[in-house]
Amino acid sequence: MERMLRQVGADTLSWLQGLGRATVMWIRAAYRVPKPSDWMLVIRQVYSIGVLSMAIIVLSAFAIGSVIALQFYTQLARFGAEDAVGVGLALVLLRELGPVVTALLFAGRAGSAITAEIGLMKTTEQLSIMEMMGVDPLRRIVAPRLWGGIISMPLLTLMFNTVAIYGGVVVAVHWLGADSGGFWSGMQNAVELWDDLGKGMIKSVVFAVVVTWIAVYQGYDCEPTAEGMGLATTRTVVMSSVLILAFDFFLTLLMYGDFR
Amino acid sequence: MESEYLIEIEDLCLTRGEKVVFDGLTMRVPRGGITAVMGPSGTGKTTLLRVIGGQVRPDRGSVRLNGADVCRMSRAELFRARRDIGMLFQSSALFTDMDVFENVAFPMRVHTDLPEDTIRDLVIMKLNAVGLRGARDLMPSQLSGGMARRVALARAIALDPDLIMYDEPFTGQDPIAMGVILELIKQLNDALGASSLLVSHDIHETVEIADYVFVLADGKVIGEGAPKELQQHQNRRISQFMRGDPDGPVPFHYPADDLQYDLLSEAG
Amino acid sequence: MRMRTIEISVGAFVLAGMLAAVFLVVQVSGINVSQSEQTYKLSARFDDVAGLRIRSKVSMAGVTIGRVTDIAVDTEFGEAIVTLEIDGAPGGLTADTGAKILTEGMLGARYIGLIPGADEEMLADGDEIIETQGAIVLENLIGQFLSNMGK
Repeated sequence: MERMLRQVGADTLSWLQGLGRATVMWIRAAYRVPKPSDWMLVIRQVYSIGVLSMAIIVLSAFAIGSVIALQFYTQLARFGAEDAVGVGLALVLLRELGPVVTALLFAGRAGSAITAEIGLMKTTEQLSIMEMMGVDPLRRIVAPRLWGGIISMPLLTLMFNTVAIYGGVVVAVHWLGADSGGFWSGMQNAVELWDDLGKGMIKSVVFAVVVTWIAVYQGYDCEPTAEGMGLATTRTVVMSSVLILAFDFFLTLLMYGDFR
Repeated sequence: MESEYLIEIEDLCLTRGEKVVFDGLTMRVPRGGITAVMGPSGTGKTTLLRVIGGQVRPDRGSVRLNGADVCRMSRAELFRARRDIGMLFQSSALFTDMDVFENVAFPMRVHTDLPEDTIRDLVIMKLNAVGLRGARDLMPSQLSGGMARRVALARAIALDPDLIMYDEPFTGQDPIAMGVILELIKQLNDALGASSLLVSHDIHETVEIADYVFVLADGKVIGEGAPKELQQHQNRRISQFMRGDPDGPVPFHYPADDLQYDLLSEAG
Repeated sequence: MRMRTIEISVGAFVLAGMLAAVFLVVQVSGINVSQSEQTYKLSARFDDVAGLRIRSKVSMAGVTIGRVTDIAVDTEFGEAIVTLEIDGAPGGLTADTGAKILTEGMLGARYIGLIPGADEEMLADGDEIIETQGAIVLENLIGQFLSNMGK
């Protein structure tokens, strides 16, 4: 009994310590105005985080968009409401699936890569030697990756939504023969710029902060061994995924829940 | 007023978890020349370099570098002070995403506003000094261990530091690479007019180049002096280490029960 | 050299993101921002608003002209006080405009339908709509039907 209590206490404390370290890291890395030369580092990161994730995002978006359209179409056609496919597809994507699936894919593709990269730098003492050279690795290594991730993910979400809707059009309109006019006008009537697109993008920004923060922190804080790096990479993906889903629930509740 | 000593360490104490790393360590490293810190593995020699570089904060004591206490510097002051220190890690720690040229150019790019032409000339000179001018377009993964260490050395001296610290520069090198490094340390120290602090347990090489040696054990300095003096030291512990005798006051056996008792006792 | 390709592809990436944003704004949401420029408020009392929510539509002749922004209860009279936000400047609705709580389709969402009147005067900001008809609750309807059957 006493051992169990002690264990719970120790776990809580180490968890809080981790949160504290992550916060200090975030403040040190992000606080301070970036210099023009820092922007080059950020651009490099947008490339390796954002541009290189595009392929998987676009492919998944097309697949998911067309599958949703297919499912909606077959169900709605029974009530003769094929025109509603566009509405359902757009709302489901803009509000939920766009931000959430992009963030999950991003965590698997870019988040794990960030953790592994920083972890490797730590294990091979590159961060340490940088510090000894009088260069702060938080600003040189961590900050550009944080900004790169936070810039990239909302852009990827926009692309995801667009491609997924296009995938839906291909299936519902071009293949199954739903009326193109009804599809688009129904969508345009139902979709609100702020309520649907705007709030969805806010979710995406929140997820971007959560995932890149976790990824960078896990790399920076990992145990400097090959084993530690592997563990940290796994933790990045697991923690990001769980937190994305949890945050999504609360954000949905806050944004769309009718409670006062 | 410049002190005669570059580094003055006073009553340094540091514990990590249960382990006492330093227990009242006091040493003064003279300006100029090559100073070596020796001692068996696990005596915190590498940690000592990190304390001097301000990466590890001690529990107690002071470390004065050029008269300024490293342990009481703010983060920004520390980063400024480190520009005058060149450090060579045991693992070389080259930046894997940059080629050899960029690795050596890195300190110049971040700390100076020199034009690109000047940086190029300087990098080529530094690489020439370590004999790797021809390897400037290679990536770190294409280098052998010895070459990587020489590139790291060129990077360490990129800004012409006052103090160069070497962490186990001879470990894991083949005899030729070892000879090259040995020669380079000597040459660079003289050419730059810098002071070198070298941490090692390779006795023969160290004795060859060091002007002054500290021997560390149990978190304290147990002996200091010119290398030749130390080998003749009357303290058996020092002379054992300096001559590399397998047994002596530092026992061959890790503390254990009597062998006979161990063999006769039941398993488990 | 390598930095240039990186810069170009990052530029293309950001551009693609922008284009996607434009597509989503124009083609998918069909920009209905213009409506939110100017609005004014009206209130209405209903005996029953079951199913009506904040942000429910307010429409006239099937065209959405506003939203519900607040629903409160007046315990003294047992009535619901609903605040409506109507797009545009005041002056478009006559003082005897009626308000009805309707349902979109069979099982759809509740919304408020406004029925134009014939008065000379117009509703101003903050005015109350007098002529109202509350929500038709299916249970009540069935109850009435059954009791009529019994007669």
